Amino acid sequence: MDADAARSRELAAALVRVAGGDRAALRLVYQETSAKLFGVCLRILKDRSEAEDVLQDVYVTVWRKADSFDPGRASPITWMVAIARNRSIDRLRSRAAGGRFEPIEAADVVSDPAPAALERVELAQQQQRLARCLEELEARHATAIRAAFLDGATYEQLAARMNVPLGTMKSWIRRALLKLRACLER
Amino acid sequence: MSDDDTIDPADRGKLDAAEYVLGVLGAEERREVERRLMHEPRLAAEVAFWEERLGVLADAVAPVAPPQHTWSQIEAAIAPPQAARRASLWQSLAFWRGFGIASATLAAASIAALVYIGLIPATREQLMATLAGSSGQPNVVAAVTGNDLLVVPAALLTNDPRAVELWLILPNQRPHSLGLIHPGQAMRLTIPPDLAGRLTPDAALAISLEPPGGSPTGQPTGPVIASGRLTRL
Repeated sequence: MDADAARSRELAAALVRVAGGDRAALRLVYQETSAKLFGVCLRILKDRSEAEDVLQDVYVTVWRKADSFDPGRASPITWMVAIARNRSIDRLRSRAAGGRFEPIEAADVVSDPAPAALERVELAQQQQRLARCLEELEARHATAIRAAFLDGATYEQLAARMNVPLGTMKSWIRRALLKLRACLER
Repeated sequence: MSDDDTIDPADRGKLDAAEYVLGVLGAEERREVERRLMHEPRLAAEVAFWEERLGVLADAVAPVAPPQHTWSQIEAAIAPPQAARRASLWQSLAFWRGFGIASATLAAASIAALVYIGLIPATREQLMATLAGSSGQPNVVAAVTGNDLLVVPAALLTNDPRAVELWLILPNQRPHSLGLIHPGQAMRLTIPPDLAGRLTPDAALAISLEPPGGSPTGQPTGPVIASGRLTRL
């Protein structure tokens, strides 16, 4: 936890240097975060070469937009994960409609490794709170939320994967989001 | 985006940000949220809220080391246009001006400094020349770097439409053309191999004005506007 906080401060300081045009600082940021962000891109895109393309784009974006990073408002890794997810999801959506079908089986979604992984690490306050709030949801709703976040799947894809009508999936997710919102604010 | 009429209308606004961050929206809907983000601070604050809270879910994703070449591609993508070739740095007159060079004398000192810090490779014998016009005021500096000649026309001002040609003059020989130079631009000229070994402090450089394209005869035909001897650095 303390090590994480120190790492986060270092990253934030490096991003501030990146905003000032410091290439060495970007390299440091890359060394510290690229494996995590590549994992995030790969999880969404499920294609190595596309994930490589997007990862490159992510760091070029970090380079150009580092001045919009506000250390007082967001943690550096959260800010970068958001960029990596947005780029990956945009790439995913731009694939020809009806192109690649999600290779993940519904069974994988149901046995999502997230809770175990969350338990393994010493949980930061933020993680603990989210885990607790997700626990308050109906299990399959929480599963849908995790699958949506990690895979960047649309309502349609989630409905197909979890074998429920589209309307049901939308209703699950929206209700789950509103409950989560209320729980996270507590 | 929120077409579910069983959800309280007051909650629908909050859902746009949540759905955007969660990643369930289609391309069009995503663009719409992004357009609104630019002028709806409350929506932006909601997006920030969800990014911060849901972001920790990414901890469940196993890190995967990207391939080695990814970093070099990023590095190339963010490289400044100037850095594409190191040569372009000293070819830029702006660089020399930025160096604080108001005179060729200063340019000479700067070239010496660049050789010293290794930006210009030092060879066994470092030679340079300051070329001065009839007024005695030096206006071009040249340095031999290996088989090349670095030419910095730091203070060479001419509105003359004629070409500016650089000549190497070896003792007891007719001038050898080294090529055309441009008053506004530092440049690197290649010294012909048969001459490279014969550059000594006895040799001199000269600049003449020639017809467009350079001297038609292979010898200076126009006025010599500057000249100077090679000296050891």
